[in-house]
Amino acid sequence: MPTCPDGAVRAEHLWKRFRADRGRRLLRDHVSRATARLRGPVPENPWRWVLRDVSIDAEPGEAVAIIGANGAGKSTLLKIVSGVMFPHTGRLATGGRVGALIEVLSGIHPELTGRENVMIYGTLLGLSRRQVAEKVDEIVAFAELEDAVERQVKFYSSGMKMRLGFAVAAFLEPSILIVDEVLAVGDTSFQQKCLDRMRDVIQSGTTLLLVSHDLAAVGATATRGVWLDDGIVRADGPIEDVLGAYRRDIESDAAAHANVHGLVEVHDVRADGPNGRLVAVNEECTVRLTVSTDVERQVNLYLGASEGAPTPIFVVRHEAMLPPGRTELELVMPRLPLPPGQYFLWFGAYQVETRIEFTPWQPIAPLLVSGVRQLDPTPRAIVRLSPVYVEAQWSRVRDSGASANGNGERGVAAERTEP
Amino acid sequence: MTVPVPTPRDEPEPTSASGPVRASSVASAIPDEPPPELRYRRALKLGTSLRSLWAARHTVSSLAVRDLRSTYNQEILGVGWALLQPFTLMVVFTFLFNRVGKVNTGGAPYPLFSYIGLVPWTFYANSVQTAGLSLVNQPLLNKVYAPREVFPLSEVVVAGVGAICASLALGVLFLVEWTAPASTSYWVVPLIVILIGFTVACSLLAGAVTVYLRDVRHALPLVMQLGLFLTPVVYGLRELPVAYRAAYCAINPLGAVIDGFRECVLYGRAPSFTYTTIGAASTVVYLLGTYLIFKRLETGFADVS
Repeated sequence: MPTCPDGAVRAEHLWKRFRADRGRRLLRDHVSRATARLRGPVPENPWRWVLRDVSIDAEPGEAVAIIGANGAGKSTLLKIVSGVMFPHTGRLATGGRVGALIEVLSGIHPELTGRENVMIYGTLLGLSRRQVAEKVDEIVAFAELEDAVERQVKFYSSGMKMRLGFAVAAFLEPSILIVDEVLAVGDTSFQQKCLDRMRDVIQSGTTLLLVSHDLAAVGATATRGVWLDDGIVRADGPIEDVLGAYRRDIESDAAAHANVHGLVEVHDVRADGPNGRLVAVNEECTVRLTVSTDVERQVNLYLGASEGAPTPIFVVRHEAMLPPGRTELELVMPRLPLPPGQYFLWFGAYQVETRIEFTPWQPIAPLLVSGVRQLDPTPRAIVRLSPVYVEAQWSRVRDSGASANGNGERGVAAERTEP
Repeated sequence: MTVPVPTPRDEPEPTSASGPVRASSVASAIPDEPPPELRYRRALKLGTSLRSLWAARHTVSSLAVRDLRSTYNQEILGVGWALLQPFTLMVVFTFLFNRVGKVNTGGAPYPLFSYIGLVPWTFYANSVQTAGLSLVNQPLLNKVYAPREVFPLSEVVVAGVGAICASLALGVLFLVEWTAPASTSYWVVPLIVILIGFTVACSLLAGAVTVYLRDVRHALPLVMQLGLFLTPVVYGLRELPVAYRAAYCAINPLGAVIDGFRECVLYGRAPSFTYTTIGAASTVVYLLGTYLIFKRLETGFADVS
């Protein structure tokens, strides 16, 4: 095992298995298992591997996101790193104190007041009594509890409980912070506060291991991504690349499972750039699609583009009277606002008045956007909902040194910058 | 503290000779079974385990405080409940033995005689029963890292607080009977150490075994009821034939402890040296054995609990 500096995680070849059978632990279950073993070799392997040869490294101060579908082994991996579970096979070393934020509500006791809970939960998470006492006001202020701290937690709203749990954990200051799907607590403004706090934590040199299904938040917080798929590391690298690979996988999965049949069927889809070239950023894009219907229908056709989830980046609608048989349609978008990357075209057809669906919303074709104009990255911990390319030009209108006799605020700013 | 130089991510991962190549997108490179030479084995060292337990002492006290506060805050009688349990038993047994048959109390009033045995017994029984359940349905087990001993140990602490309250009532009982504790009462200190040691040992075992064998939670109250009569709590150790007493104290150190309490508090004698030494020695063995069993079973707690 290599040496492990403070804040580093070194996990090599981790394997973990759980029982795949009923797994109950009553005496008669033990007896029946024992008699089954006595009768002959057990036909079925009672174990199921949830982690297979997973290696994960984190340098001090790095923010690593672990993404993957439900049941991919993300939480198990975090539990092993945090030390509450032990691996079956592999080597593991962590440097410094590990603080785990897994289900923030589990340590909150409903019969106690908010303040008592802060004290007790803080020590449970590894702080000394004095450390918690020093921070209790800060924690209460962060959780926005005000007078409610002296009330029993069972009288709290669920949002208050969540905020209390997160606030305690947010002030832990461990060397390694493990966060499992707890970012989405409280309302939107508190979520932003949590993300800000998370950024502070990273900035102070804490290593962050993060599990979340909120891919936008993951992209904004983490620098590196590890994609777990059915217990195997599918990708490990810069967060944008891993997220991209993961999104493409989700989408092609969705496309493979898509029910392409409906009352309005799609037969052929083709997307082209100007003059038949490749589709490119901020250029003209033409989508030709052939649809068919059995009887004449008045329909609302929707076409959208997405980068992963069935939440589209944009949608265009077209109301049309489709005659029986095939109809070829053409959609021209003069300037495609998507940055280079892999997207999917989604399609849906609905009745105009009743909005009854003829064809459900589904991916119909991949859309590859080429070009060199990359999207500018968002600042750290700022969540971008979906990538849209906006043509923008920056220019310097005036320098602070250019005119010292400007009036209003600009003049004041100019004075301040002078030595 | 040296600041490590981060290794560049772009470099290909070195292939280790023992394990498979790092899995980046090639799922087929991963074998079906893990390489046996990499099997995770935790080095079990008594010193290291105890040190990490000492580091987690705040967790023990926090858990205990949380339990005590949440149970006693809302009840009218509060800690009075801790007192009521041995007290009721004492009253019942006093009536029972006054009517049915005499117990040789060595001249001491029977209420005092039995209460002095019932307080340590209640402490022991409550500890083991609650510790037995402390690791199942424990929401914190999977969430908070601490040596797993903290959960049964915090239950022992909670029961200990109850026992302290119950022993305060002993003073009232002495007043009622108009006697005083003998001057040799200081002997209770080593006896309490033995009592705590044996209680911790049984609590660790009960907690660990219940995780893997859930039936134990139903068996424990039964075992404790039987134990009340198999232990010299409501009768004296002297009821046993002399030949068996030493062996009994080795199996059940509570016999030596309770007998010692009565000797030094009621009769003004030092506790029997033989029985106390045997009890202490067997407690050490119990404690070491159950702690090692607990630590061995500990690695699987989070998986099945």
